[in-house]
Formats: sequence, structure tokens, C-alpha cells
Amino acid sequence: MEKPKRRVGVFSLVLLLVGLPFLGHQANAASKPIVIGAPLATAFLYGWDAERAMKLAAEEINAKGGVTVGKEKRPLKIEAIDTRDLEPGVPVSDALLVVEKLILEKNADFIVGGPVRSEAALAAMDLLSKYKKVSILTTGALTPKYHQRIAEEYDKFKYCFRVSGEVGWMVTGEFLPALMHIKAKYGLNKLFIMVQDVAHARGGGDAVAKLASEKGWEIVGKEIYPTGTTDYSVGLLKAKRENAQVILIWMDMPESSILLKQWYDMKIPALPFGTIIAAAEQPGFWKATEGKGEYCMASVVNAGNAPSQATPWTMKFVDAYKKKYGLEPEGYGTSSSYMAVYVLKDAVERAGSLNSDAIVAALEKTDLMGVYGRIRFNPKNHQVIPSTDPKEGAVGTIFQWQAGKRVVVFPSTIAVGEIKLPPWMKK
Amino acid sequence: MDILIYGIINSFSLALMAIGFTLVYGISRLPNFAHGALYVVTGFLVWSLINLLKLNYLVSILLALVIMGLVGAAIYRFVLIRVRGMATSEIIATYALGLAILEFLRWGGFKGMTYTLPVFIEGSVTIGGIPVDLQRIIVIGIGIIVISFMWLFTHFSKTGLAFRGMAQDEHAAMMLGIDSDRMAVIAMAMGSILAGLSAIALLPLGNIVVEAGYNVLILSIAVCIVGGLGSWVGAIIASFMIGFLQIITVAYIESHFQMVVALLAIIVTLILKPSGLFGRQKELEERV
Amino acid sequence: MDIQERRKERLDRGIKVRTEGIYAVSSWQEVTYLVLPRLILIVGLLLLPLLIPSLYWKRVVSIAGIYGLLALGFDFLAHFVGLVSLGGAFFIGVGGYTAAILDKSLGLSPAFTIPMAAVGGAFVCTLLLFPALPLRGVYFAIVTLMYPLALMRIIEALNIFGGTDGILGVSSFPNRWIEQYCIIFTVIFALFGLRRLVNEDIGLVFRGVKDNDQAVRASGLSITFYKAIAVFIASGLGCLGGAYLSHIYMWSGISQFALDFSVIPIAATVIGGGGTLVGPVLGCFFLVPISEWLREFGTLRIVFYSVILMAFIMFRSEGIMVYAQRKYHQFERWVKV
Repeated sequence: MEKPKRRVGVFSLVLLLVGLPFLGHQANAASKPIVIGAPLATAFLYGWDAERAMKLAAEEINAKGGVTVGKEKRPLKIEAIDTRDLEPGVPVSDALLVVEKLILEKNADFIVGGPVRSEAALAAMDLLSKYKKVSILTTGALTPKYHQRIAEEYDKFKYCFRVSGEVGWMVTGEFLPALMHIKAKYGLNKLFIMVQDVAHARGGGDAVAKLASEKGWEIVGKEIYPTGTTDYSVGLLKAKRENAQVILIWMDMPESSILLKQWYDMKIPALPFGTIIAAAEQPGFWKATEGKGEYCMASVVNAGNAPSQATPWTMKFVDAYKKKYGLEPEGYGTSSSYMAVYVLKDAVERAGSLNSDAIVAALEKTDLMGVYGRIRFNPKNHQVIPSTDPKEGAVGTIFQWQAGKRVVVFPSTIAVGEIKLPPWMKK
Repeated sequence: MDILIYGIINSFSLALMAIGFTLVYGISRLPNFAHGALYVVTGFLVWSLINLLKLNYLVSILLALVIMGLVGAAIYRFVLIRVRGMATSEIIATYALGLAILEFLRWGGFKGMTYTLPVFIEGSVTIGGIPVDLQRIIVIGIGIIVISFMWLFTHFSKTGLAFRGMAQDEHAAMMLGIDSDRMAVIAMAMGSILAGLSAIALLPLGNIVVEAGYNVLILSIAVCIVGGLGSWVGAIIASFMIGFLQIITVAYIESHFQMVVALLAIIVTLILKPSGLFGRQKELEERV
Repeated sequence: MDIQERRKERLDRGIKVRTEGIYAVSSWQEVTYLVLPRLILIVGLLLLPLLIPSLYWKRVVSIAGIYGLLALGFDFLAHFVGLVSLGGAFFIGVGGYTAAILDKSLGLSPAFTIPMAAVGGAFVCTLLLFPALPLRGVYFAIVTLMYPLALMRIIEALNIFGGTDGILGVSSFPNRWIEQYCIIFTVIFALFGLRRLVNEDIGLVFRGVKDNDQAVRASGLSITFYKAIAVFIASGLGCLGGAYLSHIYMWSGISQFALDFSVIPIAATVIGGGGTLVGPVLGCFFLVPISEWLREFGTLRIVFYSVILMAFIMFRSEGIMVYAQRKYHQFERWVKV
């Protein structure tokens, strides 16, 4: 009796699929939209803000007539699919299947955005090179392994670009100078490190520790917390006992806001410096912690994710986002995803076709004044070139929560305020 | 000193999380894998009552607990009663239910890190040179109240005694006129209320996120297995063991082994003594 | 009041009775009766990739095949040996990592790594599960559920095997038809192999272990030994799936220990019909595409999915295959009492 059941199953499957190949034939028809596939973990900040930003960019471009490919104008279309790759209990292969779905079924011309989790983003590289799809990573994964792989096997992975940040630079170019800034201003030199138990955080924590100790910081302790920890008291007490003055936090789990609440309640006399701290990035953080997150510093990786005057475009972007979604850009992944769409538009127009190799060549020559500074890719590893000066390269942003607002405090070229210490630290 | 204080706090948190799970399993042999989901639901329920219906905090809490009780009873009455006695089916049904609840919440927009409950009393005190916030002390208070209430309830009230009868020997209890299904409904309702209560006590410490549901479930299972499935005393002692073990791991080894400790505790206990430290199961039932 | 005096009677069809002994098969009709369902299954599975035009849906079929192997293992352990294993993720993870490590360190091709990962991984799984074998029912289930979680945390905490980044750049199959048919042949082979196995002598012992272990022990056979063999077979299937997964996605990482690999095969078994071996496989070939198709609904799809599962377990816990087999072999009629 397997017969009817099977037949119904196969039949409905076939029916479902019959329509699909036709989509492919129309790809060359006039003003068929250019499809940008976005595999994103849309249930998480780094996913949904990227989706919103990309839709905003596509809307703006389409309102101006779309993208000029050769002689014709073609609109952009964003196809975002949820990858669930930040959820526990979901294998990364699920996210990879989404990437394949975008390429094979949605006929995406480009992949922009994720996958978000670094394990998935790295695994997706092999897939992208197999299908020769140009991809710009804009959110989530910050692992240096991404562009290292491109540099090592350029011919294989040349289709992958990353327009957001990268841990190596963030540590040497932003976190350390920011620490030195704090040291120079307040004479603090005892650092305590608290990181999440994932590769990027552990690596980042170690790198900061090593470099900071070379520059005269004393590392008084280090704690690694498994994802999902809800109690940080012992670590905080350790920090207090060791007279730590700055606590460096590197966590992308929501529970990190518990850390800050405990820090506030226990009045730990140390400045919390969240290098990566997903919980503190969002505008809603202030309300969520009832103001207990005050004085917390956080990096949102790229400028434009918090209001500042990095370039003339920055506030234009922030205002447009605010107008469309009713709140400021929420955190890492917003401005970079927005820019990626513009970068791609620019490259397509210069290449004059959608051919992957032509686009790669065009992307390598990108030189665009964007939301977070000048956007250029390193032709060897396809990583966006960073800088602390928006005129030279992509700038980062570190802000501090002050009286309910995200005040950009670093880099000084774009800062709008000064770093403040909590009152219980003043002796 | 800090190990002692925060060990106790951590232990009471674990005990609060796990006691609902143990109660349901102990009485009606139902592994309620939707426990973590119920915990998270309560958080969002209270949040919605406060922020959308603009109710008083205390009123919201009480209302939420009543709703949770009804939900628990409904789960048993409409879902579990049909799969009663088939261990695998019970696990799958409750797990599927939990998954459905959690994903539905996420679909409904409860995502991100901005949902929180206010603490009961603001501020912190210093005990032996260690600052502790009041909410954590309240957690201990609630823990003690719940545990003593459970003890009094199961030893002196009629329903509580019936519970114990059910737990010891279901068939004998039924012969003595105890309605097995009615007891199970009450147990599920109480289990859900306890899950809700622990959520209300613990969530103000952090924020309400859907993912917490899975962690709560794993920790509850850990506590129950180590203590012996269905044994309340065992569960409380086990939560102290795991609670202190975790804090000691953080203090002396490295904090990233915290979760490994809980998981290994489950595996080692099951392999060495599956009935747990204080389980009352017969050896023969669990081993060949 | 007529109704109360009737009841439903269920009888074997004549043709079933006639075809039960192979020597009695005498007509084409009877041969067809026996062969047709099997033939449709085999031919259907073989034709599936040819019938589906889209590359993406072909990939979905491969994924369904991996889940099918896990579901087979689960069904075999649960309904023929009496071990409820929630360790699908454990098998996949061990197999995936073994294949990836073999590939990266020895540079072997998938033709070698997959069988080696299947056998080697099965050995590792059996060894790790060995102490838990005497456990029964829900206890064994929880141990197997905890193993992948613990391994995931251990890899994360010790930062071995690439840590949270995973092992990358695992080689892929030379040809996508080989890739596709590799899994389909494996599923067919495993399905019919297991069906044969459970009807051999050793299958009887397995069932003895499930239904009356004391009798097995009284016959002078070691229960643990037979359980170990069964776990070896089931985990071998799972590891093979894991190794295959590593090779099609050219990656291995801690998320291969994800709970989905434990849950979906069980769901498929519930829906397909436990104890039939073929049911769980078909269940996977239903469930996985449906779940992909529902992807448009975002996170809501998991809700649908869970609700379907609950509905099945509450109202149709026998599953599709048991129901279908009954209809095929038997007829029902109302009789007066």
C-alpha cells in the first residue's frame, strides 16, 4: 500500500517544482529585477537589522530608477530567508541549505548579508565558490579566518567579500587605541577580561590581553563564560578583589545584559568596556536594564550603527532608517548591510554585466565614500580596508551609554562626546 | 565567602527551576519537556500584562500564575492524557509542544534582548564584604518558601498525601479511590505554576529571551536526574550539588566548563546510578 | 440501537494468506501483490532525483536521505531492540567529524572516508555508549540526548577540532550524480538489509532483548553484547549520514551535534509508523520537503511542524505505514454480534 501514498507525495512534489525552472528562463528578460539573496538569522538582532537596512537601500535605489546594467535599468529585489543559524539546536547545514535555496531556487544574482554565525559563514564559502556566486558578508561573522582563507586560496574564494569588520583590526585599530585613550585620560591600567566561550571572543580576548599588556596595562584576570550563563557574580567579585579598573567584555549572547545589571547592583568600581556586546548595542538596552547599563561602552563595529557625523552620508542614513522603522539603526550589521547594496550597485554599473568574474574585478576597484567612511576592498583578501579616519577607510564606532543615549566616544575623528566614569569609581 | 553566598543563590535558582519538573514527574511519571517553554511564556505573559494592559506588577504576577495553572491543566487534559504511559510519546509530545510555544513567541515578535521584568526591590546589601543585590536574596526567600510549602503540602494536605500515594504506587492509590487523571491535572497545573514562579523570581535578574527555555530545560533535567527522577528531597540536594559545583568550577577551574559540569553530571549519574542519589525506583526497572 | 450490536471485524485478505509461504505463489497476481510495493518504493526512490528538475530540491532529497538513515537507526533500536535513542545528533556529529578529520589529515577521497567514518564512528559511538547500555527506557534516552550536548560543549571548551569555527574545506564529491545516488543507494540498501536482519536469527534475539530480556539471559546469551551490536549498526548508519553531510557541505562543525538531528528522525518515525522500518524512511521523505516548503513562513514553520507532530502522536500514533499496511493486507467489515 505504499503505492498511493508515494504517488501523491511524488506528484505534489513534481507539481510544486514544475514552475521553478521557468523562472530561470526569464532571468534575461528586460528589467527583470536583480535578485539579492540574504541568508539571515532574522530572529536575532544581527539578522533583522541587516534585512531592514538592505530593504531600505534597495527601496532608495529603486526609487531612483534602479541599477544600470549595460544599457538597461533594472530594479533590485531583496530575498531574505531565515537561516536560524544563531539558534541552539539547529545545525549549520540548515543555513547552508538556505544559501543553496537562494542560489538555485530564488535565482539570486548575489548573496549579501550572512550567514551570521561564523561557523556557517565559513562553511558557506566553499558553497559559494562551488556556485561561483559573488557574496558580500555584512553582518555576524568577524573571524579573521574568513579573509585569511580568501588570501590563501584566492582563486577558489575570490567571490567572497566582507564589507563589515574583522577582529584583527578591531583589536589593534580600535579597542587598543580606545584603551590607551582611557589610560591617558583617567590613568587606569588594570584590565579584567570577560569573554564568551566562542572562538572569536576567546581569540579576541587573548589578543587584547597580549597587546594591552605590552602597552603597559596590567591584566588582572580573565573569565570565559559558556553561552547562556546567567550569573556573573563570582567573576565580578574576582575583578573587584583584583582591583580591576576596566572590564573588557566580549559576548554576543543576550545574557550579557545580566552581567551589566550585576555590575551596577554590586557597584563594581571598574569601567565596563564592551568590545562586542550584542545586548548593549540596541537602543532598547537602556529601558531593558532600567538605566543600569549606564557607562557601558560598546562597539557597533561600523560607524552609522549609532548616530555620528563620520561622513555626510551617516546622518542621512540614520534619519532615513529612523523614518522608515521608527528607531535608530540598532547595531552591528545595519550600516554595513545598507552599504553593501550600494557597493554592489556601484560595481554592477561599472562592470556593465552580472557576470561573476567581471563583478569581482569591479568590486576590487571599489572606491566609494559611504556611510562609514571610504569603502575600498583589499584586493588580496577582499576585506574592507579599515581606518580611524573616515577619509581613508571604513571607520568603526565605540559609544558609551550616557543618560539614556548612545554617545559615540571613539574614534576621536568622529566622536561626539567624552568617556565618563561611573560616580562610584571616583575616589 | 563569595563562593558560599553565590553558591547558595545559584543552588536556589536551580532548585526553583527544577522543582516543577520533578513534581510532575514524581507524581504522574510525565517528563514535561515543555517545562522550559512554560518558564519563558510566564516571563512574556507578565511583561505583556504590565506593558500592554498597564496592570500593577503584583496583579500581573498573580494573574500570570493563575493563567499558567490553567495552561498546565489544559496541557494535561487535552494533550498528555492521550499519550499517558508511553514514555517516548510523552517526551515527543511535550517537546513538540514546548518547541511550538517557543517558536510561536518568536514569530509573535518576542525576539531580541529588550524584554525585561522589573526587580521587586531595588538595591543591594553587603554580606560579609560581598555585595549581593536584593533580588537575589528574594530568590533565596522564594526558594525557601516554595520548598517548605511543598513539604507541608505533601505531608499534611489531603491532595498532597494523595500525590505521594500516586508517586509510590499508582495502582494501589487508584484502588483507594484516588483519581489518577485528576491528580495528574493538578500536578501539571502546579508544575506550571512553579515554572512560572521561578521565571518571575529569576527573570528580573536578566532579560527574557526565547533561548533561555532550552537552558532551563537542560538544567532542570540535570537536577532531577542527579537527585533521582521524582524525588523532591533528591532534587533539592542535587541542585545544591550542581549549584556549588558550577560556582566552584568558575572560581577554581575555568568558567567555560560550567555547562560541561552539568551535562557530565547527568551522564555520570545515569551510568553509575540511574535512579539518582535519592531515587526510589527499583533497580530492576531501569537496568537489565 | 442497531449500532450497538455491530462491531468491526478485521480479516486478512485471501491473497495475503496465499502469498505468505513462498511455495504457494502461483499466479502473476500474487507475485505482483508481493513485489509491487517494494518495487514502487525502490523505483520511486531511484527516479526521484531524475523527476525533480531543481538542483535545490535534489539537495533536499539528499538531506532527507540523511534523516532517513537516522530514522532507520532509531526505528531499529526502538522497536526491535527496545533502546530508545535520542542520539541522532551524536551519531551525525561523530561521523561528520571523523570523516572531516580523515579527509583533512590523510587527504583521502570520500570513497574511503565515508565507509571509514561509518565503521570508525560506529565504533566510537558504541564504545562511548557502552556503559549506558544496561539502562532502560527513559534513562537510556536521556543519556543519548545528553551526549551530543556534552560533546559540543567539550569541543567548544577545549577548542579542539577547529573549535567553534569547525573544520573547513573538506573535499566534496567529484560529481553531483554520484553524490545524489550515493545516499539513495545507501538508504535502499540499509532499509532492505535491516529488514532482512531483523528476520534472521539474530533479529529474534534482538526482539527477545526488547520483549523479555530475562529469557535471553536464561538462554546463555549476553544482553549487553547484543545491545552493543545493535547500537553499532544504528550508529554506523548515523555516522555514515554524518560523513556524507560533511562531504556535501564541505564542512564539519559543532552544530552537527544539534538537536534537530535527534528530533526530526523521531518525528518521521512517529508520522511514518514505528516498527515498520520503511515507515520512518518515508516519513523523512515527507517531512523534510514539507519543512523546506514551509520555510517561507519563517519561524512559524517550526510551529506548524510541531503541531503536526503532536497531532500525529495524539490521534494517529500508529503512523502512516502501519495504517497503510493494514489496509493493504486486511479488509474490514461490520458484523452483527
